[in-house]
Amino acid sequence: MDVDIIFKIASIGILTAVIGQILKNSGKDDISTLATLAGVVIVLFMVVGLIADLFSSIKTMFSFASLLL
Amino acid sequence: METLYKIIGIAIVTCIACFVVKPIRADFATIISIVGGVLVLIYSMSYLSDVFGLFGNIFHITGINTSIYSVVFKVIGIGYLTEFTASICTDTGNASLADKVLLGGKLIILVMALPIVKSILNIVVELLP
Repeated sequence: MDVDIIFKIASIGILTAVIGQILKNSGKDDISTLATLAGVVIVLFMVVGLIADLFSSIKTMFSFASLLL
Repeated sequence: METLYKIIGIAIVTCIACFVVKPIRADFATIISIVGGVLVLIYSMSYLSDVFGLFGNIFHITGINTSIYSVVFKVIGIGYLTEFTASICTDTGNASLADKVLLGGKLIILVMALPIVKSILNIVVELLP
């Protein structure tokens, strides 16, 4: 849970762009759109997981706070 | 202090990553900036718990009925989350949605603050001769 997740997302982005270009040049346009779509979906799953972590830590924080009172 | 260095490091790395990825894929750049914001928030959460601990002790000392202070904590939480969502909305470009989220947050805070106002009024009325 550190800076590596940012590098992971950046690398996925660059990778999907490259793969899309390669597929497009080799004539398979439909597969290239699918490839870029798959890249975006993978990144969205990672982001959703991260935001879920944030919300769970917020919830524990505030349940701890209300427990304190 | 090292959490501060971590936050600064993450922010700088996110900006550079956004900058690099923007010409290649613009949508990933905004996703990276959102992820950077989330990471900074996660790291700054640890300080929030210390603040709550301190406030809890203070509230116990004052001895005033603690339900009022739990509302204060809830309002802080609401402000925290609405600000987080509003900044994501402005990042992705739809500023009008961000204003609506802020409006919703303000309304919820107002509704939660009403019982406090009522209890203050009751106290004032009791003081009057």
